[in-house]
Order: sequence, then C-alpha cells, then structure tokens
Amino acid sequence: MNNSHISRIDALETKSSTPRGKRSMTAHLSARGLAKSYRKGKTEVPVLKGVDLAVDRGELVAVMGASGSGKSTLLHVLGLLDSPDRGAVDLDGGRIDDLGDRKRDALRNQTFGFIFQFYHLLPELSALDNVLMPLLIRHGPIGYMAARRTYRRRAEALLDRVGLAGRRTHKPAELSGGEMQRAAVARALVGEPEIVLADEPTGNLDAANGRAILELLRDLNRERELTMMLVTHDSQIASRADRVVRLVEGRIEEFSAAPEGSDFAASRL
Amino acid sequence: MYKYLLCWKYLRGRYIALASVVSVMLGVATLIVVNAVMAGFATKMRSRLHGFLSDIVVMSYDRNGFANADEVTARIRQIAGDDVEAMAGTMETYAILRFYVGGSEVTKEVKLIGVKPEERAKTGDFAEFLFDENDRPAPASFEVSEELRKKTSPAAGVLGENMDDDILNQALRKQALDDVPPRGAILGYAMATARDPEKHRDEYLAPRGTKVMLVFARASKRPEPATDEFTVVSFFKSGMSEYDSSIVFVPLERLQFMLGIGDGEGRGAVNQIHIKLKPGSKADLNVLARKIQRGLERLRPLYFKVATWEEMQGPLLAAVSIEQDILNMLLFFIIAVAGFGILAIFSMIVVEKTRDIGVLKALGASTTGVGGIFLGYGLALGIVGAGTGLAGGLLFVKYINKIEDALSALTGQRVFNPDIYYFSEIPTRVEPLTVAWVFCGALLIAVLASVWPAIRAARLRPVEALRYE
Repeated sequence: MNNSHISRIDALETKSSTPRGKRSMTAHLSARGLAKSYRKGKTEVPVLKGVDLAVDRGELVAVMGASGSGKSTLLHVLGLLDSPDRGAVDLDGGRIDDLGDRKRDALRNQTFGFIFQFYHLLPELSALDNVLMPLLIRHGPIGYMAARRTYRRRAEALLDRVGLAGRRTHKPAELSGGEMQRAAVARALVGEPEIVLADEPTGNLDAANGRAILELLRDLNRERELTMMLVTHDSQIASRADRVVRLVEGRIEEFSAAPEGSDFAASRL
Repeated sequence: MYKYLLCWKYLRGRYIALASVVSVMLGVATLIVVNAVMAGFATKMRSRLHGFLSDIVVMSYDRNGFANADEVTARIRQIAGDDVEAMAGTMETYAILRFYVGGSEVTKEVKLIGVKPEERAKTGDFAEFLFDENDRPAPASFEVSEELRKKTSPAAGVLGENMDDDILNQALRKQALDDVPPRGAILGYAMATARDPEKHRDEYLAPRGTKVMLVFARASKRPEPATDEFTVVSFFKSGMSEYDSSIVFVPLERLQFMLGIGDGEGRGAVNQIHIKLKPGSKADLNVLARKIQRGLERLRPLYFKVATWEEMQGPLLAAVSIEQDILNMLLFFIIAVAGFGILAIFSMIVVEKTRDIGVLKALGASTTGVGGIFLGYGLALGIVGAGTGLAGGLLFVKYINKIEDALSALTGQRVFNPDIYYFSEIPTRVEPLTVAWVFCGALLIAVLASVWPAIRAARLRPVEALRYE
C-alpha cells in the first residue's frame, strides 16, 4: 500500500526536518505538522500544535516531555490509534493516517507493535494466549488453525526470549508487574512488526525491573532491526536511546543525540 | 479467531453473565412446560369430545325428530357411503331426574338421550366411558342383571329359584318389579355422586340398582308430562364435566314409546344421527358435512342441520386455542424481560471491558470484529440459556407426574387433583414445532439484546478505551 504514496516522497523530503542532516533515505516513520486537540467540556485543549518528526529504520527514539505535553497522544497518532486534526503520518514515505479502517486495522496488526504503561494484558487469557493475540486477530479460524503450531512455537520462543519460559500458562493476575510487561513485549513482537511504539513501558515498574525491560527493548531493537519509539519522562532511560526528542507545549522543541558516554549510543555511532 | 477464543473464555469465566441467562432458561422451560401441559389437556379434551360426538352429527331442528330415520340413513349412505363406518340414531330431550337418598329426594335437570347401546358404541367412544361403582368397565347394555336385582330388592332375593305361581310369589314378583324396574338407565357420573369434602372422595348417591324417575314432555302438539322409572345399571364417565353432570342414557325404544313417537317395534323417531367415518377415510369432515347437508336438503328442506364434531364444540375448542395463544404471548414476555437483563448485564460488561476492547483494537481488531465478540457472546449465552431451559423443560414435562407426587407429599395437599379433572395424571404433549419456536425465539431475543452493547463496544475508539484506567 505504500507504493501508492510514493509520489509524495519528494514532498516529504523537502518538508520533513532531518535534525542530524545525514539521512538521504526516506524516514521509516514520520510526522508532518501533526495537530491534535481534545475537548474538555466546552473548551478545546490543543495537545499537539504541529509536530514534525522523522524516525529512521532501526532507530530507537525516546520522546520526553512533561506530563500533558502530548507524548502519548503523539504516539497514538503515529500508531494509528487516533487520527490527527491536521497534518499527516507517513510510513516509508506513504501517507497512512487517512487510510480506511480496514487498512489502518491491518497496519496496527502487522506493522506496529504496542507496549503500554499498564501492560494491558487480557485478564482471561494465559500469558501464551495473550502473546498470540495479534496472530489470532490477524487470521480467521481456518488460517489460524492451519498455522497454529508455527505460531505457538514462535510465541513460546518469544516468551523464552523475554524470560518467561516457565510462565506460559499463568494468567496476568498471577504474574508480577515486570513479568506482565515482559509478556506485553512478547505480544508486541509476535506479529513481527517493523515498528514498536512503547508508551512509558517502565513507568509502572521499580527501577530494577524498569532497567531490565529497557535492556530487553534495546537488545530487541538491535537483534531485529526494529524501529522503536519510546515515550518516557525518565531521563535515565532516555539516555539509552539513539536520539531524544523533547515535546514542549505540543511542539518538538529540541533534538539531541544521545548524551556522550552512552555505550548504546556509542555502539550505534 | 480471537472472537471465538474470547467468547469461549468469557463464557467460562464470567458467572454473572451466566446468571443473566437463568431468566432465559426459566422462560424457555416455563414456555415448554406450559405448552406441553396445555397441548396435553387440549388433545385429551378434543379426543374425549370427538370420542363422544362421533365425526358428523345430523340433527333435526324439530325436537320430536323424524320418523323416517331409515330413509335418512339410506340417503346418507348414498351420499357418503364409501366413508361411513357406522351410524346411530339417538333421541335427545330434556327431563327431570328424581331419586331418593335415605329419606330425601334428589332432583336434577338432565339431558335425556335414548340410544341403542350396541349401535351407539360403534359410532364413538360410548362403551369406553361406562363404569360401575368400583371404576371397573361396565358393559354397554341397559340390561338389569338378575344379580343386581337380587342384591337391591329384598323381595327378589326371597323369590329365588322358586317359580311357583302362588299368591306369595306373585306379590313378591310385583314387589321386586316395583323395587327394581326392568329397564336400565346409565347416569352421568357427576350426577350420581357427591363429593365428600373431608375424605376427598366421591360418594355414590345413586349406586347401581337405584330406582330413578324421569319426568319429560311427551311429543305432542301440547306437551304434557310423562314419567317413567329406570334402574341405574352403570355410570357414564367421559371426563367432560359438561356431559358427566347432565346426561342420562336410556333405551331408545322405551323412550320413543314413552314420548309417543315409536311404534313399539323398533321403528320410531330420532332427532340425531351420529355418523362415524371409516378409520382410513381421507374425506375432509367439513366438505363431507356440507355434502350431506345438501343431500338432505333435497329430502326435506330446512329441516336438518349437519355439523362436524368440531363445529358442535366450536366455541369451547376456540376458547382453548385462544387461551393457549394468549398464555404463550404473556409468557414470552418473560423471555423479553430476560432480554433486558442480558442488555443490562452486557452493557456493564462492555464498560468493564472497555480497556480490553481498546487493547484489542490497538492490536488490530476491527470494529466489526469487536462487535462480533459481543454478538457471539450473546448468542452463546442464548444457546446456553435456551438449551438448558429446553432440556430442563422437557425433563420437567417427562417427570411432571412424579414431581407432582413429590410436591403433594411435601405440602400434604394434592397439587393436581385427579378427581377434579378426571385425569389420573397430568396429560402432556410435546409439539416439536412449538419447542423449536420457543428455542429460536429465545435465541433471537438474546442476540437482539446484545446488539446495542455490541455496537457500543465496536464504536469505542481505541484511545478513549485505553485512557479508561
């Protein structure tokens, strides 16, 4: 579906700002002049006031900002969970925010992987079934049953990878916060997405667990060449990113490369 | 695929929703039981009415009847000969019945029917409804047996085998004849008995052998009363109280003689002819009745009235059928109420599941897919509710009499009093079509009740749903 939007690439190239100035290729995911406001009673509260942002393939970008600065909203709009009032979201240079519901559903299911602050596992399902959910959604009964062994193995391997090998049949209520977030990471990856969007993935965890999740994400980012956007207000965590963008009053205020001395950043550069 | 998985998980894990289908279950079970019992009653009643009335009845508007019964039956045979199994002429009139219990007189107004028992037994269930005091079947005959005569009359007992025609025997014979008239009568069961409220039992006021007097109007231009005496030989117990409380059967020839419309040699007037069709006859009763009516018009215009048994009991049958329809309608409201219960509980579940719905949508679930979860859930609950209701209802119907026994034993009072209905047990009849309708109706209501919550769930925007903490 992206090919149909190739004609827009030129426009994108000229419009999108490239902070580091060394990219010649099209950004993997980009935002052009995104604006979004919410209604609170009768007053309209603008949250995003024209956000321009481009994320390269395989890049790990941390989005920082004060509470209410619109970090989560930006992530939701980029991940097609919400529509912008103005502006556009492009994937590989093709506009995706104005697609029909079915295509948006398919993109959410196949291209994006979501990780939430509160894990958001389905309480009725075991860890394994939760991880399988994106694949269950992708396929009808016949398609799923035909490939269920492969999928199951894939989900089990992911659970092993995030360190939940012995917890497959446990319900979310029987898992700790860190374990639930690990399961959520596995769920985000099971559909083999290109982009992972994480909304404060460590915000509800203690320091040790938070660090572990972050390490995991960082490792997965490198192993699988995943593009990642990570919303956080913890600068400690942001320091592990390739790049940090800061949202202030609905605009991207500054771009900064990861601080000097960051081993991850160093390894990337 | 996720829809089925989630429906299944919700169904297994959420007992509050299962509780909401209890009302569906009860509604379905109630409808099935009520329909089965009502259909049972109606069927039994119809079969009794039909049994008693034969298939088609030819009546004369003139109470005194027609003497040319042979000619009429010949005409009927000519019209519908292939279908006719048997015919019986009867004479119906009104009379006053009197007999003595202890020293006091009992008087009742009755419908007096003169029949030839063998003939009448061939046209319908007549012999099947005759019993003695001990509920043993009695023969279809008016003969007063020697045994009964001896038992009832002291004079007849003394008379014995001694046939000498001396003065004493003559007196005894006269006395015996006076005690026990030689003509038998068959009394409606409800007329011959009275209910003992303490023992919950019917006591016989007029046991077999009782002498009864009948007063009726002679067939003449200016009716004048005639009286005749009969001996009760058996009881007519059809289970239709309308009949059992008003009918007295007497021998046709005797009645014709007493009314003054017979020649005393078996040829006399009748005012009804009962026609029974052959068992395999495929003729439409109504069509045949009209055909006979037209044929008899030519014989004697504006004199005969031909009716099928259903027409004769039309208002009663219609009332029963309307009663069943109304009851069904009212009971279906129970399931409708259950539908609103599902609606309420589903709406709550949607609110409770808002976050999960947001997650599903974030993971790529479509609007129709999310709606489908709740519609499917409603259908699944409907199947569970209607299914258990169906099974429960059918089991209840199957063991209804045992349940009734247990309830009676528990409360010390009979729930279903067989004396009132004359049924030894509660009649039931399960009609598969009705059961299917009830089942599908309940499913439909369960699905309809989940439509609105499903639409609400489907329309939730993922971000709003996720923000719901």
